[in-house]
Amino acid sequence: MTLRMTLRMTLRSSATALALFTSAAIAHAAPAPATTQIAARSKPPRSRAPRLAFDADAAPVFLVGAEIRTGDGPPIAGGVIELRGTRIAAVSGPGRTIPEGARTIDVTGKIITPGLVAIDTSLGLVEIDAEGSTKDDSGAEGDPIRAVYDASMAINADSALLQVNAIEGITSAAVTPRGGLVSGQVAWIDLVHGDHRNIVAANGVAMRVQLGQTVDGSRAATWLRLNELFDDVEFYRTRKAAFDRNQSRDLAAHRLDLEALQPYVAGAAPLLIAAHRVSDLRLLVELARRGMRVVALGGTQAWRIADELAQAKITVVVQPTQNLPVTMDEMGARIDNAALLAAAGVEVGIAVLGDAHNPRNVTQEAGVAVSYGLDPALALAAITRVPARIYGMDAHYGTLSAGKVANLVVWDGDPFELSQRPSAVWIRGRAIPMRSRQTELRDRYMPRVRADD
Amino acid sequence: MRLGIAFALVASACARPPTPTSAPQPVSAPASTAEPAKDDSPSWLLRGARVMTATGIIYMRGDVLVRGDRIVRVAASIDAPAGTRIVDATGKTVTPGLIDTHSHIGVYAAPGFTAHSDGNEMVAATTPHVRAQDGYWPQDPQIDHARAGGVTTMQILPGSANLIGGRSVTVKTYPGARGVDEARFADAPEGLKMACGENPKRVYGTKGGPATRMGNMAGFRRAFLEAQEYQRSWDRYREKLARQAKDGTDDAPAKAGAKDESEDNSKDKSDGPPDPPKRDLGLETLAAVLRGELLVHNHCYRADEMLGMLALGREFGFAIRSFHHAVEAYKIAPELAAADTSASVWADWWGFKAEAFDGIRENAAMVAAAGARAIIHSDSGIGIQHLNQEASKAMWAGRRAGLTIADDEALRWITANPAWALGVHEQVGTLAPGKQADIVVWDGDPFSVYSRVQQVFIEGTLVYDRDDPAHRPQTDFELGYDNGRTGAR
Repeated sequence: MTLRMTLRMTLRSSATALALFTSAAIAHAAPAPATTQIAARSKPPRSRAPRLAFDADAAPVFLVGAEIRTGDGPPIAGGVIELRGTRIAAVSGPGRTIPEGARTIDVTGKIITPGLVAIDTSLGLVEIDAEGSTKDDSGAEGDPIRAVYDASMAINADSALLQVNAIEGITSAAVTPRGGLVSGQVAWIDLVHGDHRNIVAANGVAMRVQLGQTVDGSRAATWLRLNELFDDVEFYRTRKAAFDRNQSRDLAAHRLDLEALQPYVAGAAPLLIAAHRVSDLRLLVELARRGMRVVALGGTQAWRIADELAQAKITVVVQPTQNLPVTMDEMGARIDNAALLAAAGVEVGIAVLGDAHNPRNVTQEAGVAVSYGLDPALALAAITRVPARIYGMDAHYGTLSAGKVANLVVWDGDPFELSQRPSAVWIRGRAIPMRSRQTELRDRYMPRVRADD
Repeated sequence: MRLGIAFALVASACARPPTPTSAPQPVSAPASTAEPAKDDSPSWLLRGARVMTATGIIYMRGDVLVRGDRIVRVAASIDAPAGTRIVDATGKTVTPGLIDTHSHIGVYAAPGFTAHSDGNEMVAATTPHVRAQDGYWPQDPQIDHARAGGVTTMQILPGSANLIGGRSVTVKTYPGARGVDEARFADAPEGLKMACGENPKRVYGTKGGPATRMGNMAGFRRAFLEAQEYQRSWDRYREKLARQAKDGTDDAPAKAGAKDESEDNSKDKSDGPPDPPKRDLGLETLAAVLRGELLVHNHCYRADEMLGMLALGREFGFAIRSFHHAVEAYKIAPELAAADTSASVWADWWGFKAEAFDGIRENAAMVAAAGARAIIHSDSGIGIQHLNQEASKAMWAGRRAGLTIADDEALRWITANPAWALGVHEQVGTLAPGKQADIVVWDGDPFSVYSRVQQVFIEGTLVYDRDDPAHRPQTDFELGYDNGRTGAR
């Protein structure tokens, strides 16, 4: 491994660090397509509906007897969850009458949580980080403005990474592009392995932005460029006709990029901004003051201005184990960042940031946050309800309640404990096979190990 | 009574507690196996903790008696000699200090400045002449974090850009070290870092090679062939010296590398002492490997390459002590057991490059089930803080797959087994009489995600206390920045 640390000094997650391998990969990335998506976006999306019917006529399935941790509100002991088709039809206590002949699954003594959501991942875009031909997580290299890039157009539903993470409880993922100042649009997927037609539940659920020394190695230039861009988004909106008649000054980005940014500058959908240093986080506060919806990714020093962030209603997505000053921007990194932010009233999300292979370890991250002071209910919300809210998907995801997409996880015990892995995972109303490329490798070699027992 | 206070009292007898603003003092003179603690050293008894010894025994309630820098006794109940300070650890769990076989702390410091990039001598594919100890920066803030995670010993390795990257150094996480000699694990053997696979061929593919795995293996063989020849030249020289001394036919000094050359000038060359061969630091290192004096630590992911390296070792007569990042160790676990080669693995890193694509969670457990030594290593300033959690994930994965993995076995993955891989198993790695008193006190089961390190002792001295800022050391580098905390975490 070591080598990656040499070439690029990032000490963060393996995936991030491996960005070093990828410069060659960019050439393989498909040019940003997606004109059909653009038209739809001129109307600001409020809450994005997945392309899934509520199949009220489907035969019901009842999960009976578990402790249901709904994700908002107190747990329900011995509860009943009724599924119909791809949706949850009802969630109730033990008093429920179950129709004769209905399919019933006894989950007595188990715990059911909402499906876990990976907040910032390249799941579906990357198979092997170091292999450019399998890595497709960014728009054209060179141009820092890639707003028109739409991650949903590049998702590979056959990726082996999907099942590896799904069987450990990740049921949905916000697939985020990388690179540049404005990296592109985030897609919300459900981890339905092999289902190319349906894997994308919604596209354009957020726009990913990278602050810091992104443009010309200069913080000031980066901020200037972003402001110029946002000005021109507004300029373009009010002068489209003039632009089409070729009666406009030069603009800071391509017409399609300016179009794609409209809902984000209007505050209808969130900007997902990677930022660590206080000075950068305060720029996020500034954007929020201008009416934009802002989510901070990383937020290493966020605990130092927690009150300001709370006031500006900026959600901060942290990875609790990342407590090292890997750059000077991250001096003062703390393992209890999540708890400090929550105490100040900041909405906190928890993620394995920027990783494609191990978003599944988000339960460990949540557990670490709890051991350093975060309330367990908030920790569960940070990997279920909060991600759904961030991306405007909360009408359909993130909690267990009637009408929501039937993504849920059945556990034998505390989901954050290292001993626990799901005993069953339901995605869009179906129990997924609890197999992955990794379990197949394991099963192939296990007999050799046992033979020597 | 708060445990921390009790320990602070104990520790003050051994070392001046560093304060956050004063320069911490080196807490311990290097311990030596040859000099056991004197009987008049202060002793203390850790009483009533769950004691996980990593020797095969877990006392659900046990006592540990420490005198000076050594563990004197571990038992279910110990009657303390008069005058022994008793430290109540009821409700806590005690383990040996954790050991990481694979770290680049100090040679790849945080923050990751280009100026701190001191781990890969990336100028040639074979650089056995360099030593990690010469790049080790003792002010790396990651050292504090590793200690706060319960790590007391770590092997600092050169990176994996090169086929042969250089010598490793094993250090303890003593606070306040100002140079590597104040951090060094006394009497620990050195290691040699070698790397298979993608890294060397990627780095040197357009810089003179190796460009392929063929080139990698040829590069290893060429290096060790040269080392054999180098060894022979010294053997010949020493034989000649010995023969001359035995024959007594001339009055030349019988010592190697004769010092007084002026005397020799007058002599006929053919009759005088032979000239010693020219020293070569790189070949000297490899020759030491051939003589079994350096332990080989081999970065190697794939099963086929590990088998190839074991064959290479047989060809040249050296053992491989540990394969590192051995993502496919589970495929050759019986062969690793037969070769007495350990596997240093992650709990679940996988897929970041092609040779890591077949990683599985059960890797360590399957290696252990086949009778080989499994080790959980970090290769990360983050992972090193959570070795207990990583071991726990790997242990539970094995259990879910139907393997019998005892708690003690999984603890050995981060204590006794890495101690063996580093050749320091006589000194550390278990809680047993005569071992150095490197001890971690946990506030719960170390295999729970919720448990935290409460205290860390190295050689009987308190070096970290979660509840006491005076025992949360901080390197020079972090001074003057608003961390909102003192020390790690």
